[in-house]
Formats: sequence, C-alpha cells, structure tokens
Amino acid sequence: MIRRVSLVVMLVIIFGFFVFSILDLEAFFSTFGKDYFFENGLSETGSVNLVTGIYLDYRLFDSLFEAGLLIAAVSGVTWISQHEITEKNATFMLDRQSTPTLFVTFSRLVYPFMLMFGIYVILFGHVSPGGGFQGGAIVATAILILYYIDVQKATSIDKILTIEKILFLTIIGVGSISFFTKGTFFTNPFDLSASEQVKAIYLITLNALIGIKVALGLVAIFTAFLKEGR
Amino acid sequence: MTEIVSYALQIILIVIAFAVVVHKRNFTIIILIATFGLVAASLYIMNKAPDVAIAEVAIGSAIIPLIYVISISRQREFIVLDRAQDGFIEYGHELSGEGYEILAEFVKLYDLSLNICVDIQGKEKSLINELNVDLIIARDLQTGAYILYGKSSSVLLSKLTTMVKDKPNIRVVKIKEDKRND
Repeated sequence: MIRRVSLVVMLVIIFGFFVFSILDLEAFFSTFGKDYFFENGLSETGSVNLVTGIYLDYRLFDSLFEAGLLIAAVSGVTWISQHEITEKNATFMLDRQSTPTLFVTFSRLVYPFMLMFGIYVILFGHVSPGGGFQGGAIVATAILILYYIDVQKATSIDKILTIEKILFLTIIGVGSISFFTKGTFFTNPFDLSASEQVKAIYLITLNALIGIKVALGLVAIFTAFLKEGR
Repeated sequence: MTEIVSYALQIILIVIAFAVVVHKRNFTIIILIATFGLVAASLYIMNKAPDVAIAEVAIGSAIIPLIYVISISRQREFIVLDRAQDGFIEYGHELSGEGYEILAEFVKLYDLSLNICVDIQGKEKSLINELNVDLIIARDLQTGAYILYGKSSSVLLSKLTTMVKDKPNIRVVKIKEDKRND
C-alpha cells in the first residue's frame, strides 16, 4: 500500500515539474528552423519531400547512428538466440496441418503488390511521403508473408547479418563522397547549382541502401524470434 | 468537421489503450494493439505527418502484432520432433498412426496444440536443452521399441508415462537438464 501511495505521489510531482517546465514555452518558441528549411530546403538538397532532405542531407549524421542502432539490435538478437543445432528453418510458424488455404491463397495474391508498394515508397522517398525506413519496413512485411506461403523457405541469419554490415559501411562510404567533392562530410556530393534530377541520384542511392538494410534487419530479427521460440 | 473527427479518434485511442491494459484474452489484445497503430496513423495523417504515419502502419500494425502472435502461440504448443518416421505417425492428408493417437489424446487433455516437425538435426540432449522441443520420438534399432525423450523437469511427462504404461513397445526416457546460469 505504501508503495502504491508513494508511486502516485511521485507521479504527481513529476507531472507538476512537467507543467511547470512548459509554462513559458512561448518565450523561446521560434519558427527560424521551419522557415529556413521551407525557403532553402529544395534548392540546397534537391528533395521535394523536406523530411527526406533533412535526414539525408542536413542530419545525415543522425541517420547514420539510427542505422547503426538497428544493426546493433540485430546483432544482439542473433547473439542471444544462437545455438549449435543445424536446422533447415522455421517450418513451424503455423501448424502445417491447420493453416487455412484461404489465408495462404490471399497471401499469394497480396505479396507482389506489397513488394511493389514497398519498393515504390523507397525509390520515391524524395518526392512523396516515405523513404528508406518506411519502405524497408513494408518490404520486410512482404518478405515475412513468404513464411506463410512457403513454409520450407530457408533463411540464414548469418548471411543476412554480413550483408547488413557491408551495407552499413557502404552507406557511410556514400555519405563521405562529399568530402572529396565539397570538403565536408555527410552532405550531397553534387554542386549546389546542379539540377534537381542530378541531386536526386544521391538521394535515391542512399534511400535504396537504407531501405534494403532496414528490410534485412527486420527479417533477421523476425527469423531469430521464430527460431528462439522453438 | 476535421476537428470533430480528430477529437473522436483521440478518444478512441484512449479507450483502446485502456482496453489493452484491462483485457484478459491475449489474441484480442494483439488485435487491439494493431487497431491502436491504425488510429494513431490516421491521427498522424490529420496532423500532416504522412512519413511518420507510413512507418507507424508498417511497424505498429503489421510487424509487432506478427511477433506477438508467434510468441503467444508458442506458449500453448507441444512441440514434438519425429526422428523415427516409420509409421508411428503417418503423414497423410491428415495425421494418423498409433503414436499420433496417443499424442492427440494427451494434448487434448491439457488443451495444448500439437506441433510435429521432422527436420532438425542435433543430439537429443542439446536439442532439449537449447531448443524448446518438448518430446523427441526415436526408435531403438535392436528391440524395435519407440523411445520418447523429454525433459525430466516437465510435469506433463509423468502423465505421459502413465498413459503409455500398458503399451510394451513404447517407453519414456527423461533427460536431465543442465543447470544454466541465465
């Protein structure tokens, strides 16, 4: 009882601090960043979708750490779930005898469209909502549907992890090209006066790399979960 | 109009969040979590954040429910590895055979679902220690008897032992588990 009361008291105190801290929010409210991105975003990054412009150009350093975070998570999950037993794969996701045929047929029907939508979201990340992470998650979902369609499908987590590491290094490499052309790290390597289409080459390349990396990472985590539960 | 819809969605969001905490049935909770993701995504769209909405739909209402479904269905599964594969369990259009009948009766008793798999390699001891295989069916080549390997700590196994007591060609062997530090 004392524990609960003290918990409630603590929550009330924290809430009080929270209210107190946002009382003078208006004092330091400014639209400087928004205005800056709105005026110069398109000409500086070549990205119609300003969000993509921010996370692939102005804040690429942050995005790199995000990608590194995902690879650390995948490595951790695979390390925890490793064991010496060789098995073909997770053929047990659903009871093979009781998977509804309707479900499998519908998955077959939906699979190509999901894959196509995911790839669209990745490749058009700089002109429409979306980008590498979102598209990668959709592609991963599409690949996971394959487990329902083909229960015999074999996946090697180690290979996926190796590809992911190489992709991470490639992303850092592509981001660093600008050091040789402009003298600064992690920005668009093409000249500011270049046309939007030329600048888009860099954005599409990075989006595609991040998309593949995220998709592989989520598939690896999911497969590790499947094997671990056995 | 948009404001009314947005307020309604926010109220639905709070109701779903309470339902997730209060509800007792696991699979209903998973559906509720997926619904939470969808409602949150529509709110993101209304607040002009389509990028976040796509991520929320893909992660929050597709991948996370899938992971939950698998983890929860694992809890109520009795996993059997068939090493003998010679008619003890018949793999036809529907499963049948002497062993299947015993196992089906056993599983029905405890309200579990039976999951039979055939394609894992490895030693019995390490399989039972490292993976959650509940039972391994093997055949003694000399006597022709079927041996069922299981964990010695499993309470279910003693029930199975009494079930197959009057069948001379089946015996249950309990494997001791290693003490693990984790």
